[in-house]
Amino acid sequence: MVVLKNLHPPTEGVRLEQAETTAVMDGQRLGCGTLFVAETRLSWFDGSGMGFSLEYPTIGLHAISRDVSAFPQEHLYVMVNGKLSDENEAEMAEKAADDDGDDGSGSDGGDDEEGVITEIRFVPSDKASLESMFSAMCECQALHPDPEDEDSDNDFEGEEYDVEEAEHGHVNIPTFYTCDEGLSSLTQEGQATLERLEGMLAESVAQQYHMAGVRTGETKPEFEDGMEVDAEATEAGQFEDADVDH
Amino acid sequence: MESERGESLPSSSNPVEVVNSIRERTIAENSMVVLLQGLHGEVTTVDLRNESTARGRVVNVDAFMNIRLEEVVYRDRRGRLTQLQDMFITGRNVRYVHIPDHMDIMKTIQSQLAKIHRVRNFASQGGGRKEFKKTKRPLPLLL
Repeated sequence: MVVLKNLHPPTEGVRLEQAETTAVMDGQRLGCGTLFVAETRLSWFDGSGMGFSLEYPTIGLHAISRDVSAFPQEHLYVMVNGKLSDENEAEMAEKAADDDGDDGSGSDGGDDEEGVITEIRFVPSDKASLESMFSAMCECQALHPDPEDEDSDNDFEGEEYDVEEAEHGHVNIPTFYTCDEGLSSLTQEGQATLERLEGMLAESVAQQYHMAGVRTGETKPEFEDGMEVDAEATEAGQFEDADVDH
Repeated sequence: MESERGESLPSSSNPVEVVNSIRERTIAENSMVVLLQGLHGEVTTVDLRNESTARGRVVNVDAFMNIRLEEVVYRDRRGRLTQLQDMFITGRNVRYVHIPDHMDIMKTIQSQLAKIHRVRNFASQGGGRKEFKKTKRPLPLLL
């Protein structure tokens, strides 16, 4: 049995509320209730006020399923990474032992490999609402980018410059510097950013005049680390015995 | 399983693009996501981190590598196939995105970067209310 908690439906930032929606978790029907697609979390509550909620960072994917061979009714499929809560794990493992999982639920309780998942299906009685349920989830999911993203280049320098805000907020002050005024107002950081961006722009423009992928011009300094392969030094057939996987 | 997108349905990429557009353009410009954004309209396979795969037509890829696909064949870890009409894969769950063989990667990246620069220059002109001569480059938005 999945343990439902007595939670409160969200009151703020609710993008979509879909009543008469059955929830099925790893093949187990939880009953008919209401789905709340809110900006902070996704939650579902049955008639008695019991329900569960999902945090968007835990949701791996969601999709509209109209394939009745996989599941008899059209529904919104949500794949959650991990199991819903620690107290559920024991129940899930037990259920997996008994349950064949052959109704398309794919129960993974008891799987030790990485990526234990929970499959949830939200089956609305109004099938026409699936598109808006899907879209609402897309919007909310996009509000929760991965905070553990290794790519730290997502931090950019300087203040985010909102064009609309500047125009509405300051009627008499020029919104934009002319090139000359602007350059003298740059901080050191700003100057560095400008140089970097200009460099990137110049690079991408310059490369338009080269054959795609073929470097016909000067070698770039960043590649001169002594690791360049001198093309003339290779012998014919030098690499023929190499084990290459394509 | 072709879905007819009615005009009344908002494209899910539009509201997000408006809100995050400046930040997303910067992120995209500085990472390989810009290549994935050149995949719009292509049919390809996405390998997920949990060993499942999804093959379908790319509707949108945002700066966080969230991928929207349509007309998808989803193969779960056990090899079971399901058809899904629309799918949204969270960026964090993506392991690989296959680039179709026919695509020229360099050209795709260049044209995507060019699009970003055009949009940025257009936006910084205030939608036509301010004018800048081409030689005087307007201040990049992030400074």
